[in-house]
Amino acid sequence: MTTPWKCLAVVALASLSGLTKASEDKLTLEDCHLDGISQQVECGKLQVPENYQYPTGDQLTINFAVLPAIDRNQNKEPIMFLAGGPGQAAVSLAGGLYQAFNEVRKTRDIILVDQRGTGKSHPLQCEDDLELDPYTYMPEAYTAANVKSCIDKLEGDLSQFNSENAIRDFDAVRAALGHEKIAIYGGSYGTRAGLVYMRLFPESLSAVVLDSVGPIEVPIGLFGKSSERSFNMLIENCQQDTSCQQAYPNLRQQFNQLIAQLEKQPVTIDIAHPTLGSKTEFLVSRAKFLSTIFTMLYGMETRSLVPLVIDQAAKGNFSPLAGVIASAGMGEMYVGLTLNIVCNEDIPKVTPSMFTEDANNSFNGNLSHFAWNTACPVWPQYRPSEDFYQPVTTDVATLIISGDLDPVTPPSNGEYSNKTLPNSKHIIMKDSSHTPGVSACAIKMIAEFLDKKNPNDLDESCLADIPKESFMLGLNGGA
Amino acid sequence: MIQFKALLLKELKEAFRDKRALMVALSMGFLMPVVIVAMSKFMIKQAVETPAIYVKFTGAEYAPKMVKQLKDANILAFADVPESDKKLWDKRSVEVIIPETFAQDLQEGKRIDVILRADYSEKSLAAPLRRIEREVRNYSRSIGYKRLLVRGIDIKILNPVQLQEQDTSQPSSNAMIISLMLGLYLLMGAFVSGQSIAVDASAGERERNVLEMLLCQPVKTQNIVLAKLISSALIATLSISIMLSLTTIAVGFVDLSKIGASFSLDFPTVGALMISLVPLCFLAAALQLFVGFQAKTFKEAQSTVAMLVMVPTMIPLALMFIESKPDWIEWVPVSGQSLIMEDLFKGLPIEWATLATTTLLTFVAVTGLVMAMAKRLQSEKVIQSLS
Repeated sequence: MTTPWKCLAVVALASLSGLTKASEDKLTLEDCHLDGISQQVECGKLQVPENYQYPTGDQLTINFAVLPAIDRNQNKEPIMFLAGGPGQAAVSLAGGLYQAFNEVRKTRDIILVDQRGTGKSHPLQCEDDLELDPYTYMPEAYTAANVKSCIDKLEGDLSQFNSENAIRDFDAVRAALGHEKIAIYGGSYGTRAGLVYMRLFPESLSAVVLDSVGPIEVPIGLFGKSSERSFNMLIENCQQDTSCQQAYPNLRQQFNQLIAQLEKQPVTIDIAHPTLGSKTEFLVSRAKFLSTIFTMLYGMETRSLVPLVIDQAAKGNFSPLAGVIASAGMGEMYVGLTLNIVCNEDIPKVTPSMFTEDANNSFNGNLSHFAWNTACPVWPQYRPSEDFYQPVTTDVATLIISGDLDPVTPPSNGEYSNKTLPNSKHIIMKDSSHTPGVSACAIKMIAEFLDKKNPNDLDESCLADIPKESFMLGLNGGA
Repeated sequence: MIQFKALLLKELKEAFRDKRALMVALSMGFLMPVVIVAMSKFMIKQAVETPAIYVKFTGAEYAPKMVKQLKDANILAFADVPESDKKLWDKRSVEVIIPETFAQDLQEGKRIDVILRADYSEKSLAAPLRRIEREVRNYSRSIGYKRLLVRGIDIKILNPVQLQEQDTSQPSSNAMIISLMLGLYLLMGAFVSGQSIAVDASAGERERNVLEMLLCQPVKTQNIVLAKLISSALIATLSISIMLSLTTIAVGFVDLSKIGASFSLDFPTVGALMISLVPLCFLAAALQLFVGFQAKTFKEAQSTVAMLVMVPTMIPLALMFIESKPDWIEWVPVSGQSLIMEDLFKGLPIEWATLATTTLLTFVAVTGLVMAMAKRLQSEKVIQSLS
């Protein structure tokens, strides 16, 4: 049993070193500036084959950046950041990560690679989605025709824009930069990518951080039950806080009534355009209201506004909702890649009974399935191998982090990976939502973990200091 | 040549004989790294740490969320002050007065006046007061932003212009605070370390009548001067090499990453530093010998030489204030080396042409001084200090 594995490893190593050699002249690296960072960083491009089975065929240019360690003399291995989505461009997040990962960056370079299909690595963007007016647009109006017009504009062999090839690109960047081993941090979908990385190139990894896990076993796309849980916890936290309870005593009823009303009849009101100040129509449908609340559940800052938004909307004031929609900016999402991966790697694994079960919730029913059900039937197909769906059992030190209030990757997800990984520890952060790994408390633990490579020996004392979830109590705030 | 060797040997023996005087001469090399570490540790602490501030709150119960935010920023209530600091903070008496109507005024959107009362002329309170002011402003602003947001306004329009700063310095450049100190200390080291040796070899030997004896020998005065020069410059070179190597090691004990900086000197940088500094050691020794021979007494020589130390300290300072530097500043001894060191610490590539020019000019000055001294030593007047 061991011999063939060893052979495989040798073959893998051989092909890897071949890759290193070939990539030397395909790599460019220069000093550059990225938004939000005054210091010079390094920007690079690497030529990779679109299809790894035909190394000499069509090539893709992979864009990446290296945020240099403050102190490079300690020669610690760098950490690669795997972005979420799927469809987020890692390099575009550089400014925020530069701040958030400061504790790690003191001694380690941070490598950001635009996953193929995002950012400046052959982006797959549905331009139409960017031009939509969020105030007048009805999410319900999204049809297969929109999807098809997007597909028509995309270039390249879509079947090659899959998770495994993305990881091959990442590992090629690692090799081209001359690092024998790196650590990785994956957030949200980045954890899925990280798990694939662990399976494909375990020998390239020294330590792994999985923040808000999307395990292979749990298809991405079923957010009904998890968002219901997150929303229920929000209401419960409000009810347990005396001042919140007093300010919003009937939150649940208000919410249910409002949803029922909007389902019957969407509301149209005249508002001053949040950005332009001119008069505009604001159309509120059930889907728009629910999907806005859903996205608000992702972060503690936006969660604090949820009771107020519901209460005001129930009283007929939709301005808070408009303000939230205007200020939302989760960073650009390359929807073409999102759909390409989710429709091919996850949704095919969802059985009708799983859809039904997930839709059986008191928050948003089957709303989170709508986009998939519209887009996936018309999206060009590829299918990953069965290996792709096997639980990952790589023996690399792994720190798993979950936010207790997370609406999309609940702590139960982290448990899946914690069970199959032999060298892991799962930390659940209370009063935290999606990707709490970038909080100051978690970053401190991550920095410690990267040095010790032992997830069971970390100073977790700061977990107790995370403040309780709190809420905005009125239109002028509360003391 | 044998003559010269004997002379040099004599000078070095003289220099190394008195071990205590030698240690004093090299003390800069040993002490300055310690000073650099101590100073930078202190400065980093000042820059990074937010020590606890204890505030006498009045009406804290009216604004629990604001008080909580202050607490998160280590601005605490006077009731929590540890016994050891109680007297200090009682005397400092920083008061924050929150009106009874806080909650209601907030709800009604009225302006709330929170009072910060303290002795603003007290220097040690400047930083704490600034921190309190900043935290209250942050609290106020975050509520302001949220108020606009829930009124349906895109809060991004509150920042029409965002300045994106692009710093073109090399990411590898060394920590400013350390480079500045080290640069200055290296220049000083070059000038100060050989000083006692040079004075002793000139004015000292004259007073001990050793010089007279030397000059009676059938040797060229030029060789006598050269031997003295080399011995004194060697001590200075030794001193700055010690300083450089010890600093490189000692800086490892400072956590510079706290202020987002690092410090490292690789072999080529150290090499280039030495190339630019050794000529200065010679220049310093030549100047000191010249002054030493010129002075009438040992005492006078000592006081005059001490003034020479002003040269390496004043020139880099003056350079900082010159906005547009004329080209010749890059070539002139001391200022040229000072600028080259600045570039080296910044991680910029070495401009060999400039380095060569300033080195050459420095040695021209040294040669000039040596020739002048050799000429003067031929005069009996000078030897008897009769002039």
